[in-house]
Amino acid sequence: MMTAELLIVLAQIWGGIGAIVAVSFLTIGIEWIDEDAQGAITFRPLLIPGIMVIWPLVLWRWWALATNQDRSTSPQAAPRRCHATVAIVLTIVISTTLLISASIKQTWPDHVPAILLEAGQ
Amino acid sequence: MKRNAPFFVGYLPVPRDLRLVLAISAIAFVLAFVIAAWAVGISQDNPGDGRFRFDLGRQTVTGVLEMRPYPVLHVIEGSKAIETGETLMLSGGGKFGVAPRANQLDDMVVNAKGILLNRGTIRMLQIGNQRRDLTAGEGQPTVPEPVNLGRWRLAGEICDGKCLAGAMRPGRGIAHKACAELCIQGGVPPVFVTTQPVEGHEFMMLADADGGPIMEQLLEKVGIYVSLEGRVEQRGSIAVFIADPNSLAVLP
Repeated sequence: MMTAELLIVLAQIWGGIGAIVAVSFLTIGIEWIDEDAQGAITFRPLLIPGIMVIWPLVLWRWWALATNQDRSTSPQAAPRRCHATVAIVLTIVISTTLLISASIKQTWPDHVPAILLEAGQ
Repeated sequence: MKRNAPFFVGYLPVPRDLRLVLAISAIAFVLAFVIAAWAVGISQDNPGDGRFRFDLGRQTVTGVLEMRPYPVLHVIEGSKAIETGETLMLSGGGKFGVAPRANQLDDMVVNAKGILLNRGTIRMLQIGNQRRDLTAGEGQPTVPEPVNLGRWRLAGEICDGKCLAGAMRPGRGIAHKACAELCIQGGVPPVFVTTQPVEGHEFMMLADADGGPIMEQLLEKVGIYVSLEGRVEQRGSIAVFIADPNSLAVLP
């Protein structure tokens, strides 16, 4: 499969799952985990694109809050606690990715000659 | 965090204890972006001077259409910007080739209207989207005889001819790989850019071993520097590289 095709297929799968999560969360889940959202409808479509992108995080937080696994005083406490770790990890990952991509980048092979293997007629 | 620790809120006055931190952070932030922009900029290759030649206006030419490996026009009646005797690669709008509209006109004299793309010696005509932009013409269809320039081992890059000619900047390289793959799959003629010219040609339209459009083995290596062996033919004013996919090797 071509790289471009693979990227499109992966994006479609990710977005498809995200759409299912978005519909489920915005129609059912959001009212379970956030009492302030009860009866508030019009803002929900605005969340669809974001949920389609970060649906694993949405599912994790939905599960943690719905099953009372998260006993924090605030539903935002858990994400806030890991801010520092995520910032450090992202800094390392992004820097390393840039360095690796720069180091394995091909150089234009102008030292390789054009070789005539068999003369034309 | 302490209960009465100073807290920054954008629309409120900055707490005294945070002023120095804020100033240093703001300057560091701006400097970081300047340095990052500079670093990204100097690491990129020159995108070249290729572009759509809208300044030359819409071109109307007559020529003989040849469909294999990809549609080209051997011009028999040129325009101000296109000389008679020149061979032009053809493409459709966007990431599409012109083959679906041109198939029934193979080896015929046609009238073609479109916009020229030009980067150095690479020239392509983007045919307009209307049916009247590519129609059968009158005259004797004479396709130039191919001239065998020999079998060569060449190093270079497989690109899509349209972006390389100026539809995109940059129109080549790894950053452009996905776009080039889509363009070639859409029927835009691929070209092989060589490190050293062959009989004066720095780029060649690329064909698969059977002389037809390139298949997956070559498509997968678009945008990567490779070496390839194959026969080079002169067809009109352009060269065609009929490459053997089994000879393909990725260069370091």
